[in-house]
Amino acid sequence: MSGPRGDRTRVRWAALAGVLLAVLLVASALAPEYVSVPEPDRAYLSPLQAPPFGTDDRGIPLLDYALQGASIVTLPALASGLLVALLATLAGLVRCLDRPWLDGALQAVSELVGALPRLVVVLVVALMLPRQARGLLPIGLTWALLAAPGAMDEAAATAQRLGGSRFVEALRAHGFSGARIYLVHLVWFNLRPVIVRQAAEVLMQVVFLEIALSYLALRPPPAPAFTHADSEYSWATLLYQGYAALLGLPLVHSLVTGLMLVALVAVMAQAMRLAGRAR
Amino acid sequence: MTTPRPLPPRLRPGRLAPVLGFLAGALLLAAGADVSYYEEAAPSTLNPLFARTMVDRRSQELVFDRLFYRSAITNELRSGLVESWERIGDGRSIKLKLKEGVKWHDGKPFGPDDVCFTIEAMLDPATPSEVAKGYREALVGCTAQRDNTVQIEFTKVYHNPRERVAFSVLPKHAFNGTAINPDLEFSSRPIGTGPMKASRGKHELKFSAMKNPHHDPKIAGLIQTEGGDPLLQVRSLLNGGVQGVISVSPTYRGDVSASDEVALKSYDLRSWWFVALNTGSPFLRDKRVRQALDLTIDRMRLRELTIGVDPNDPNPPCEFVSGPFVQSSPYYNRAVKTAERANPEKAEALMREAGANKQAGRWVMGGQSITLRIGIDSSLQTEARDLLNQIGNQLQEGGFDRRVDNVTPDEWVHQAVTGRLKGQYDALIGKWSFGVVEDVNDMFHTRQGTQGSLNIFDYSDPQVDAILARYDAAKTDTEAQDAYHDLHAYLAKELPYLFLWKLDTKSAWRNEIRSNTISPYYYFTEFDGWRL
Amino acid sequence: MWWTRPLVRLAAAALLPLLVPAIITIALWVLPGDPADIICPPEICDGTAALAARWNLDQGPYHFYAHWVGQALQGDFGNSWRVQQGVPVGGLIAESLPTTAELVLLALVPLTLASLLAALGWLPRRLDPLWQAIGLAPAVIFALLAAAAIEIRFGAISHEGLPALVRLLAGALVLGVADGSLAAAIVGTRTTFEEEVKERYIGVGVLRGEPVLANALPNVLPALVGQLRARTVHLLSGAVVVEVVLGIPGLGELLFRGTLMQDFGVVLAASWAFSLLASALMCGQALIEILHALAIRRFPAGVLPTEEVPG
Repeated sequence: MSGPRGDRTRVRWAALAGVLLAVLLVASALAPEYVSVPEPDRAYLSPLQAPPFGTDDRGIPLLDYALQGASIVTLPALASGLLVALLATLAGLVRCLDRPWLDGALQAVSELVGALPRLVVVLVVALMLPRQARGLLPIGLTWALLAAPGAMDEAAATAQRLGGSRFVEALRAHGFSGARIYLVHLVWFNLRPVIVRQAAEVLMQVVFLEIALSYLALRPPPAPAFTHADSEYSWATLLYQGYAALLGLPLVHSLVTGLMLVALVAVMAQAMRLAGRAR
Repeated sequence: MTTPRPLPPRLRPGRLAPVLGFLAGALLLAAGADVSYYEEAAPSTLNPLFARTMVDRRSQELVFDRLFYRSAITNELRSGLVESWERIGDGRSIKLKLKEGVKWHDGKPFGPDDVCFTIEAMLDPATPSEVAKGYREALVGCTAQRDNTVQIEFTKVYHNPRERVAFSVLPKHAFNGTAINPDLEFSSRPIGTGPMKASRGKHELKFSAMKNPHHDPKIAGLIQTEGGDPLLQVRSLLNGGVQGVISVSPTYRGDVSASDEVALKSYDLRSWWFVALNTGSPFLRDKRVRQALDLTIDRMRLRELTIGVDPNDPNPPCEFVSGPFVQSSPYYNRAVKTAERANPEKAEALMREAGANKQAGRWVMGGQSITLRIGIDSSLQTEARDLLNQIGNQLQEGGFDRRVDNVTPDEWVHQAVTGRLKGQYDALIGKWSFGVVEDVNDMFHTRQGTQGSLNIFDYSDPQVDAILARYDAAKTDTEAQDAYHDLHAYLAKELPYLFLWKLDTKSAWRNEIRSNTISPYYYFTEFDGWRL
Repeated sequence: MWWTRPLVRLAAAALLPLLVPAIITIALWVLPGDPADIICPPEICDGTAALAARWNLDQGPYHFYAHWVGQALQGDFGNSWRVQQGVPVGGLIAESLPTTAELVLLALVPLTLASLLAALGWLPRRLDPLWQAIGLAPAVIFALLAAAAIEIRFGAISHEGLPALVRLLAGALVLGVADGSLAAAIVGTRTTFEEEVKERYIGVGVLRGEPVLANALPNVLPALVGQLRARTVHLLSGAVVVEVVLGIPGLGELLFRGTLMQDFGVVLAASWAFSLLASALMCGQALIEILHALAIRRFPAGVLPTEEVPG
């Protein structure tokens, strides 16, 4: 999509992504340190009876879980996305630097790192991390490092298609400064779609990874969560209540809330990707 | 009674439930099918020398014979392996005549060498067994004799020596030596003389009946599956998907008792819940702070929020305790009152007396705000949901900051009770369970040598040690009771533990399973009588 | 050079199973605390000295590493401390590996079918948003829905016979559909073919009356194989969550149990087994690339383009 209409569409997607990200950031900021004290008399209230999401089987508002879950995932997921974006950018730039040995080394590392199933590595990292260092940030960054080879490969291939070092030389011949060539022409005009897409995907994957790991830790007997303090509740709690809903407890609104939050992250990632598309 | 809660529609047994239940029972009978049941978790080991959890003990009870055991029906000391016994010499030895014809599950004959081997293995310092530690104090050695008898020597004269040899007997031929390690294959593929032979799968433990002169199990096979979600357990039970649940969550007991197809049964575990306090940590060293914590906890509200007990229930499934015994125990000191409600004013006064002051609602002592690092044996949270955070909430409300962690059952048995978490926690929430003998010496005695092996935070008090020595030296029940009554009163003041409650454990079995006497503690001791 | 990429891949495949235990060994020594305590706390093992000797921890990281790899190559990974106490870890791996292989192979069936349909142009492009929308859902959500359905239908004690098969099939379906697998297979295959179809030689082939697919397939084969490997690695990763939630006794579940129970021997062996699988996949890809390149060299004229095909 090109031209003014395409630009407008991208701006709209960017605005949507921005709004959703702002929602997550605000939710993180508003998250209570601890969820409310249970009120058995208010158990199983629907979203209409206890807006906005209703209450669970102990009368705790689902909003508490939603806010705490947001505070667990938002910053680590953003940091992981940014790390991938940074590494992909570097790979694209290296391809234009005409340093074949560096390029080769990056490819070899990519080949090795990219060959490993990511969750396996994440679990090994989780096992070896001291308890006080456990959290989503180290796990998310590990995930980002494992996802980086693919992003770097794609960014490098994009730079290669431009002509690599010849592209830079051509722009220098036009009198552009190095900073402009690398940051504007290469990164902003050409690498941006790849970088934004890969970063958005990793951001989303880290959120989902947190949900998956927390969900696994919730199954009885509860185990220490790899990704957050045991006083906090992740969005996986809502999905776990959703599982109980499938077994017969009147907690369908928990499942719906959990799925809505998952959808929010997915839509945000998609919006970021669409906003970052090429002109 | 738990708080009344309507049975969710899909949990209610349908109209066809009685018919289906009958059909299920008839089919089980006709097919000689396996009886399946939910355990709380998978056993960590099937080697009795390394039993740590109640799941371990229950599972091992099916596979092994203890040399002596107490009958759940008559309360007498009995044995499946010993024909007769007598004291010999100066009273420090006993001679046991073993039963003839008893066979191990692999077909090899059971004999005196096996009994002596088990004792030697327990006495071998290279056997890293907590279970063996208790026997090392009592036993000197064992001699196997030709006429199918063994002679066991004790360190001193015991009032009832048979109680001191209530260990599970291991097969000598299954080991290379008396140094037994937990990571031998025997821990997963045990050989016993008990009513059932065990084979371990990935998700379940299968037991198959083994006939012996001393065992005649009527149920051909048992399948034990680890618990998972309590709601799912109850649903499967009501639908006939399984025949039993070892521990029904208090939340769903009402649902189970409403069914005609299933019977709730009491399982006497004599277990009490506690919060162990780290008396070595800077804030909790002061007794007044510990007392303030005790007064900050509103136990009545806590059990309502976590177990769902109705505060107006005259006969709740969960009774408070003020010391390290259940209320029905002869050792329980009734003169010590339970603390049911919080007393924030008194707690505040004690804190100020201890030199703390409140800043922005938080207690500060010696210039540092008090943050308590609290852990819980996470398996308890299946019975008392979210207990960790609710205790944390109450303490927070009382002005104490907290940092909370789940401790996996595995970490609990290997690290918490062995005193290895004292550098990481100020308080640990747990539960102790007892059989007939409610010996709490190892929980409170100074950790030295073989004593104090279950002392979570290495609590040490010479007065407590002296009381425990009195209990050890007691020659009569009255002397033992007096010692433990004093201990109860002393601990309720010193508060190395905050004592919470005893929570009834209830099992549920479908009516197809009959004559299923549940023995205290070991559960399956009378399994031979169970039938379909 | 045509052989550079396959050679790098083969080298990486050979290196990977050595690298994984090496990294874990380094971490063992770099992390605070005694490596013996990390591998097995002394209260379980028979004293630190005995443990250190038993696990070759007493002579430094190199000795530990060399001994572990040496034993692993003979299939000896020691015994499990916690997951199944006393059972040889090698046996546990041998029991779990086929289940994970089955799961992943079954998950590849819908993906391969979808790829084929996309290559043939039988899957309309307008359906892509649907696959992408489905793919946005994380595997854990589909897995928990499937687990609930199975446990309601068969009860939780359902790990043998038909229920076990249903768990496996449900797991494969979840793996094949969730986490963007299906969408990536369809869009990836279609894009690869569409790019190739734009090449001039295809147009020439069409003018000669030759089918497009027959002409394009040999040239896109390395790219498709690359995609297939990436997808399989992705499935192996997702298998961990799916196996745990659905109770499928595979390598992922074993690894997760080992992690939760801190059974280091199991975790080390299971992650090594995963690295072997990853290596095998890389070797497979390299082999196909080599065969493909040799075919190009044998039939250079007319049919295949002379320029190197991207891998």
